[in-house]
Amino acid sequence: MAIIEVEHLTKEYRLGQLTKVGDTFKGIAARLRGRKPPERKAFKALDDVTFSVEEGEVVGIIGPNGAGKSTLLKILCGVTRPSWGNCIVGGKVAPLIEVGAGLVGDLTGRENIYLNGTILGLGRKEITSALGQIIEFAELEEFIDTPIKRYSSGMKVRLGFSIATTLKSEILIMDEVLAVGDMAFQRKCFDRMENLIKTEGRTILLVSHNMRQVERLCSRIVLLNNGRVIEDGNPKKVCDLYFEQSSKKIMGEYNVSGGQARNLRMTGEVILHSLSLLNEEGEESDAMRSGYPMVIQAWFDCDRHIESPEVVFGFHTPDLIYIASMDSARLMNKPNFREGKNLVQCVIPELPLIPGIYGLRVGVLDRYRREMFYGESIKTFSVLPGDIPVSKTAALGFIDIKHEWHINTNSVSLNDDVTSDTATESLAR
Amino acid sequence: MIAVIKELWTYRELMTTLAWKEIVVRYKQAYLGIGIAVLKPLLLTVIFTMVRSFVGIDTGKIPYPVLTFAALLPWTFFQESAAASVNSVVANAGLIKKIYFPRVIFPLTAVLTKFVELSIYFFLLALFMIWYRMAPSAHAVWVPFLLVYTALVSLTISLVGAALNVYYRDVGQMLPVGINLLMYASPVIYPLSLVHKKLIVQQAAGDWSHLLYTLYTLNPLAGIIDTFQAVMLRGDPPDFQVLWPGFVATLLLLPLSYAIFRRAEAYFADVI
Repeated sequence: MAIIEVEHLTKEYRLGQLTKVGDTFKGIAARLRGRKPPERKAFKALDDVTFSVEEGEVVGIIGPNGAGKSTLLKILCGVTRPSWGNCIVGGKVAPLIEVGAGLVGDLTGRENIYLNGTILGLGRKEITSALGQIIEFAELEEFIDTPIKRYSSGMKVRLGFSIATTLKSEILIMDEVLAVGDMAFQRKCFDRMENLIKTEGRTILLVSHNMRQVERLCSRIVLLNNGRVIEDGNPKKVCDLYFEQSSKKIMGEYNVSGGQARNLRMTGEVILHSLSLLNEEGEESDAMRSGYPMVIQAWFDCDRHIESPEVVFGFHTPDLIYIASMDSARLMNKPNFREGKNLVQCVIPELPLIPGIYGLRVGVLDRYRREMFYGESIKTFSVLPGDIPVSKTAALGFIDIKHEWHINTNSVSLNDDVTSDTATESLAR
Repeated sequence: MIAVIKELWTYRELMTTLAWKEIVVRYKQAYLGIGIAVLKPLLLTVIFTMVRSFVGIDTGKIPYPVLTFAALLPWTFFQESAAASVNSVVANAGLIKKIYFPRVIFPLTAVLTKFVELSIYFFLLALFMIWYRMAPSAHAVWVPFLLVYTALVSLTISLVGAALNVYYRDVGQMLPVGINLLMYASPVIYPLSLVHKKLIVQQAAGDWSHLLYTLYTLNPLAGIIDTFQAVMLRGDPPDFQVLWPGFVATLLLLPLSYAIFRRAEAYFADVI
């Protein structure tokens, strides 16, 4: 039985200013005369959204700004009503739309716990019994009797998160709440979320722009764009689709030779003329295969002779996590660049990236390591599965590390360069 | 009607907590604390007493200050609760945009919190009555009914006011001004007996006198104030002749006001 059922949900907002009194009267007058009042342009924040969430599911909702994520959550909590369509929620909802909703500055932390708890629909006794736990998790023992207007923003968020996740409610709705608090607390929140999901089996709806967290926490992801459901399913796949779309948006119609493209730093001495990727068959392509050879091929235009430049190619994720760099600095004798066109090829015998979407960055330095050209996301490409079967767990991470398995055998042989006897012994055991 | 009360009953804990929050927040950083609340009716009593020394208002055997304070007690309660209630929805915009529970809880809670100040007014009234050596009669059992009635009158105005205020903030500014004017159409500065004498006994408006008197008593506050003075000070039973027009009006308008509020509340989060 689905705990949340959403059918053909549509939410329309009127664009422009709130009507002036005069306009309202004009509208009323028109209606009295049996005519339609002048309509303002409508904007569909949600457009025919249909999906359902089973009990215990953890569903991530992602999408660009203005996709309708928060509107959807608002309808689910009952804060606002849909223009059309149905929304059936079968359980007590703890909304966490922006942590700290309903925290009152003049009240102390303890008073706020009671206030927030009752707002979430709990009795005094239940709150009292959970009080210690909440304070402990929020790490606010010292400050719990201080008015929270004196709290730092991190403290408020910690308190809000702690209240909403400690008090029992069947459905937890979180809008961009993990992005706050210091690193240690984020880690703690993350663990708490995983705990809620695994041991308590609570249904959670999570909106976040932190793809890594969403991908890791959720069992399913819904991608919204312009109020419509674009994709709904496996986290990795949906995230990759979203990354692909965002990269396209970022890239626009980026033209390498244009020279005036965005996000580029260049001195003008060297210009990237063209960049292409060759697959294992030597054909130009934007889709590489994991574990197969690949060539990065670039043509650089130089306005003069450049002695021993250093070329860097690097892979990064669409959200700019650097994965690896290939640097020509490791060459003993770096060739010179001639005036005019120069071809640079970087051969990767076995592409170690796991399937997904990646970006390529390119840099050229002169021999004093002065930057002459640099750009990120210059090319976006996808990596397709190679020969290794892809299991669900293997899809986490970026790199496919070459390895072998020996299970229940004593035949582990380490290479000669491992000299430490104790290490060999412990491994052999 | 019963369904409404039932639904609200399930939210009683939330209402008490919100009311408690309101009161705590109101007086937390005020050093005079709740004492400041008593100033308003007290000052008005002083001013009216001074004015009365020029114009002369006949109050029978009851001293003017205590009579006027007894009028200001339900009046201030009505005025303050209506004003707070009208602004309660907008004041809680933060909550409204984020969490759902019946929105009617906000105006209701706003009225409830004013009972705190009301209890202080009662304490002052007791001081007045001790000073003038007066004692309430057995008819004072009507007082709780009067207070609930006053709260309902206040809600009748403020439910529709609070809903409108979400769309047009002018309402929140204008309503208190309007209510202030209503004070002169209520027997606060002068006792109702003067109106009665003028219209019913002297027939000052000719054939229209009875109609005008009924119109005057259509204002529920006229009945409330007069009855309060009657049972607390004069030792008379309530005069139902004065009470019923306002009571009927309230009974008719309150459901209407509530219905308007319920219709508007679905869009509060979008408009606020």
